[in-house]
Amino acid sequence: MNSGTLPHAETLIIRLPRSGHIAGYAILISRTRNLLAGFLLLGLIAGCGSNVVLQFPSIPIPLTEKIPIAIGLRMPANFKDYVHKEQVYGREEWSINLGNSNAALFTQLFGYMFEKVTILQASDDPKLLDIDALIEPSIDAFEFSVPNQSKTDSFAVWIRYRIKIYDREGALVSNWPVSAYGKSQTKSISSSEALQRAAILAMRDAVALIIMKLDDTTLISSLAGASTPVTAAPAQAPIAAGADTEEVHAGEDDDAS
Amino acid sequence: MTPADHSIKIAVLALATLVSSGCITSRVEDTREGLTGINSGEAVVIMAKSYHLGNETEEKYIRCVENALARGSKGLNVIPHQEFVDSLFPWFEPRTAPAETKNLPKLMERPGVAEKIAAQGVRYIIWLDGETERVAGGGSLSCAAGPGGGGCFGFAWWQKDSDYNAAVWDLVGLESAGTVSTDVTGTSFLPALIIPIPLIARTQSKACKSLAGHLRAFIINDESA
Repeated sequence: MNSGTLPHAETLIIRLPRSGHIAGYAILISRTRNLLAGFLLLGLIAGCGSNVVLQFPSIPIPLTEKIPIAIGLRMPANFKDYVHKEQVYGREEWSINLGNSNAALFTQLFGYMFEKVTILQASDDPKLLDIDALIEPSIDAFEFSVPNQSKTDSFAVWIRYRIKIYDREGALVSNWPVSAYGKSQTKSISSSEALQRAAILAMRDAVALIIMKLDDTTLISSLAGASTPVTAAPAQAPIAAGADTEEVHAGEDDDAS
Repeated sequence: MTPADHSIKIAVLALATLVSSGCITSRVEDTREGLTGINSGEAVVIMAKSYHLGNETEEKYIRCVENALARGSKGLNVIPHQEFVDSLFPWFEPRTAPAETKNLPKLMERPGVAEKIAAQGVRYIIWLDGETERVAGGGSLSCAAGPGGGGCFGFAWWQKDSDYNAAVWDLVGLESAGTVSTDVTGTSFLPALIIPIPLIARTQSKACKSLAGHLRAFIINDESA
């Protein structure tokens, strides 16, 4: 549908000069032109990019039995603060800031899945901790499609996580890629909301797969029983020195929706 | 023409726009595989088939069917689907939900699943599949505005097809009770002679009402419907 310009539209908000005052009309035309140029510039700026900031996607308590081992959870820096930027079709730049949502989600997830979870910082030595296994999740890839690309009404998000599992001696025992997919329609919600929803669905999809398949795929439960620190760390204190290290007890995050 | 005549003309056109709609044809059919019925304490839940399987059923349509099934004197007790999915996490996620009734016995054996379903009184799960698509369209319409006023001229039309299927699973017998499907096709028109007059065929709304009505009759086993 074509629409023409509305040269007199701004007379609604600009006081009209009295009739006969030609100079006044010149000022009015000038103001109108400036306003239209301003609106056009604003429109162009607004159409250049979209910024999506993800909120923490809480998960419900899963109907599964806990795996009876103590794990350490170490998350790399880019996992805790992941930002994906992409130019779509050379027209629109999208910035998707997953922020701390992955770290929060995986902390909650493993808190539900294991008897005991200790969160490690980069400087912590897992050999000094009272854990059976160390889990290190990361993001291999993040991709998305917009409706223009897929020729549908939907945004889709693909996330490929990687779950590395080490035994307490630091040997890699499993390296599992987890591919997740989320899709959300744009009908009745804005584009950024739809993309955010698709990302949250992809994260929830990954969580469902991890709950179902982690033990079958990685045999992590077979690492049980090795949780005795090799140094003289206090038996009841898995955190040897790292002030940043924190312990997550099962069921602490039970405020899920 | 006086200003009063103008007002009357606009009012008549607005009224005509409101009451008019495009042409719609609809078809509803069901296939029964077992006896159905529902007790007062029992409920149903409406779910969309997984997007992992390519399903595109709209969230709006699911909510419409939920509301339509619950409405009226013969309304069913409908559990909101997200509440049901969350209560059984992770067993009804798009990736993990059972695709066939033969997977139900194994699912019910998982810790807490049968108890959660029983606590909510869910007797039937209704799986929706399908979508509303624009299948054809044409015409030309242009609008313009200037110092002396504005207006549109031309004619546009489009055809939409709302095709949905509902599979009813009985969680007591752990078997399929049957399916109900609806197919609504409608053509909308937009003639414009200064003012555009939309004649909209609301196929999705019609598909929602007809599917919900037949689903309710199917579940309560109402032969008169």
